[in-house]
Amino acid sequence: MKWLDRLEEIFITFLIAAATLVIFVAVVHRYASGWHLGAFQDFLLKIHLSWAQELCIILFVWMAKFGAAYGVRQGIHVGVDVLVNRLNPAKRRIITIFALGACILFTGVVAILGAMMVWENGLAYVLLSSLGLETGEHYEGPTTPDLEWPTWIVYLAVPLGSSLMCFRFIQVLVTYLRTGEMPHHDHGHVDGLDDELEPSVVGPKS
Amino acid sequence: MSALIIFGLLIILMLTGMPISIALGLTVLTFLFTTPDVPIEAVALKLFTGIEKFEIMAIPFFILAGNFLTHGGVARRMINFASSMVGHWYGGLGLAGVIACALFAAVSGSSPATVVAIGSILLPAMLKAGFPKNFGAGVITTSGALGILIPPSIVMVMYAVATNSSVGALFMAGVVPGLMLAGFLAFTTWYRARKFDYPRQPKADMKMRWKAFRESIWGLLLIVVVMGGIYTGIFTPTEAAAMSAVYAFIVAVFVYKDMGLKDVPKVLLNSASMSAMLLYIITNAVMFSFILTSEQIPQTLADWMLAQGMNAIIFLLAVNILLLVAGNFMEPSSIVLIFAPILFPMAMKLGIDPIHFGIIMVVNMEVGMCHPPVGLNLYVASGITKMGITELTIAVWPWLLSMLAFLVLVTYVPAISLWFPKLLGVM
Amino acid sequence: KFSHVVAPDTPKGKAAEKFKQLAEEKTKGAVKVEVFPNSTLYKDKEEMEALQMGAVQMLAPSLAKFGPLGVKEFEAFDLPYIFRNYDDLHKVTQGEVGKGLLAKLEAKGVKGLAYWDNGFKIMSANKPLKTPDDFKGLKMRIQSSKVLEAEMRALGANPQVLPFSETYQALQTGVVDGTENPPSNLYTQKMHEVQKNATLTNHGYLGYAVIANKAFWDKLPEDVRNSLDEALKESTDYANQIAKEENDKALEAVKASGKTEIYQPTEDELKALQKALAPVHTEMADRIGKDLITSIYTATGFDPSK
Ligand code: NA
Ligand code: NA
Repeated sequence: MKWLDRLEEIFITFLIAAATLVIFVAVVHRYASGWHLGAFQDFLLKIHLSWAQELCIILFVWMAKFGAAYGVRQGIHVGVDVLVNRLNPAKRRIITIFALGACILFTGVVAILGAMMVWENGLAYVLLSSLGLETGEHYEGPTTPDLEWPTWIVYLAVPLGSSLMCFRFIQVLVTYLRTGEMPHHDHGHVDGLDDELEPSVVGPKS
Repeated sequence: MSALIIFGLLIILMLTGMPISIALGLTVLTFLFTTPDVPIEAVALKLFTGIEKFEIMAIPFFILAGNFLTHGGVARRMINFASSMVGHWYGGLGLAGVIACALFAAVSGSSPATVVAIGSILLPAMLKAGFPKNFGAGVITTSGALGILIPPSIVMVMYAVATNSSVGALFMAGVVPGLMLAGFLAFTTWYRARKFDYPRQPKADMKMRWKAFRESIWGLLLIVVVMGGIYTGIFTPTEAAAMSAVYAFIVAVFVYKDMGLKDVPKVLLNSASMSAMLLYIITNAVMFSFILTSEQIPQTLADWMLAQGMNAIIFLLAVNILLLVAGNFMEPSSIVLIFAPILFPMAMKLGIDPIHFGIIMVVNMEVGMCHPPVGLNLYVASGITKMGITELTIAVWPWLLSMLAFLVLVTYVPAISLWFPKLLGVM
Repeated sequence: KFSHVVAPDTPKGKAAEKFKQLAEEKTKGAVKVEVFPNSTLYKDKEEMEALQMGAVQMLAPSLAKFGPLGVKEFEAFDLPYIFRNYDDLHKVTQGEVGKGLLAKLEAKGVKGLAYWDNGFKIMSANKPLKTPDDFKGLKMRIQSSKVLEAEMRALGANPQVLPFSETYQALQTGVVDGTENPPSNLYTQKMHEVQKNATLTNHGYLGYAVIANKAFWDKLPEDVRNSLDEALKESTDYANQIAKEENDKALEAVKASGKTEIYQPTEDELKALQKALAPVHTEMADRIGKDLITSIYTATGFDPSK
């Protein structure tokens, strides 16, 4: 599964970098094309970047769906643990298994609902008509307004991301059942402190 | 009735310790499975479109910008600057801590990271200079929370998203309360330091001050990029966030050289993961508020409240108590996303200004991070100070009291929040 | 369920209420219409999908929404100066061409029922806009549309797609320089407070189509459908009439506020604008369909070569 971990990390890293770059370029372009630069201004005005916001949103929604799956691995999703932490280990184990089961259920159901939505929203039409079959009650889906991409492709983030998330929760549950360990994220981690101090002072739980 | 079922289910699910986002989502799913009104397919649609809004995209950008500057090197520069300015006053290093926390929190946007970054560097120095440990711990734990009130602030973006308010106006509205609260905390620090006669630092000369200022200014300019950019109309708030991320990247890699280009992917990945977590809460909270709206719960509550003859003063008192209690269990983003859609319609009916109401919520979130039994700042502070939560709670009291006093002031004096944005003409 | 994204006191909001009242009266309560204003249920971006999946039964989206749905022909309504006035417009929306367009929606599972006017758009900015040259390099806010983008480019402006909700602040801070709106939107969104000049270009049309989920509509009993049709017809007249009144009133109010100077362009200036914008028709003909554009010309007696 190492390749999947790696791929997931590279993918979301790429998405956030790309979104930042897209908006940066669009803003620079907006101002540059407002200056009276003669032929260069005409050149800039010919470049169409009105799709930048839409692309940024799509990149970030995909990042959100896949990043949420990555976050399961990192234990980044915050919960209310006051009650659970006060229970005795046996009870805590039962509740934790229940909670993880519920997470698997939710992400699984969302993956299925997402797949149904994508199917209804254009995939069915594309698939059936390309196979030369009767499309019946299935209609060709809408496109996004600016990029004019089929929305079913864009919406694929929901079923794909949620499936991956479901899989990650299953992994966490299996590990918990075997070792009793849960991934835990340190929200107070800061880089670049270690080299400043004697080791004895550095102490955030990590 | 449905309100009781919805909230009951949500609370039970949350108490199992599962992620708040999933507790929200499961509540919605369960509710939709049992009612024929809304087709269940709408859930998947909402899970995509819930965050399909350009304003929300400011959140990942601000997190990215903050993470580039959440670095020990940046913290050290801000501490140097602050202590060169005020180190020779009563409580010198403590005052410097308040200011350094305010500056660092403002750019990093994360309260716990501020406590750790400033605390890890400043606390040992304070101990060495002869300050008692609980004094330093109190200063850092509370001042670290300033970041969500001093713009740019992710919690404010969340409030804006949940209530359709203007991000720009909220940011401007946070300036005066942020500085005032820093003033309150600084006064408490100074007062106690004078009372117990804690040590003062030697006065820095102008040359040292200038050097410290020059070193810290690059980080601080991030605030100028954001606020100036929004105010002058160079950027929309989301664009300002993206530009601040690019700016922070340049400062961290090429100006401060705290990190090399090879470290950038790691910062990107961590920011993406943190953003994804928050966006995941947002999507589920959007669905949750969708079923609340669909069941007309906020409107019913608002009407009921008006029928009880509740006025703005009592309502705001109740809101503060409710949010402080909620602050015992949840972190700020979840609280804002769950409570804002419910409380906002009531506040509007009572004629409370939406921006002022947002600031009240944000100040509540700050207080909530610093008080027991649960407060993220307390936990990370306990980590770096090696003090127990109870011991730390006692240490934090004087500052917590001044924060509460400030909360009352902000709640009942709207001008503190609204004067500045009105002056600038952004609302 | 009839969901729409604007406030209840706007022309569309009032017309939706009117329809509710008429529909319930005429079907003697056999149909219950629930109106959800202000995007309380579904937002701008998702309402079309919600209708297609049957989560709501009726909508009145802006005509610009049908391009993304795959019926690019609707973008003809965005073409600058394709309708000279309301008479031209109603010849299309209440005639065969309009009917033919609505019929195209059926392939998407959407039943098109009627057109509701919003009004004709005027240009605004912080400087007088008289000639096409005045637009050069201006950042003009538009709603997402290829035609509007081409329109602004034809004038030498730099089109910026911004959500309606962000437009006021973007104009105020100067993120964008100007925009195009019917007077009623300009006024209700208070954009006149942050725009110094407006020119009565009346260059483009903004309207809505009342649509229903096709499966839902087809399953209705014949008599109910007929009654609803009648209710629609009456509320359409009502909608168009108040839309026009609102725009006239808004224009007066903007003038009275003294915050925006309203300019009535001369015949020659209008001609120049029309001439600058005429290429948009040919440029977009491939997207929208040459035949459709010609049939609109025929219906309105418009001569593009003049
Ligand atoms: Na901040
Ligand atoms: Na707390």
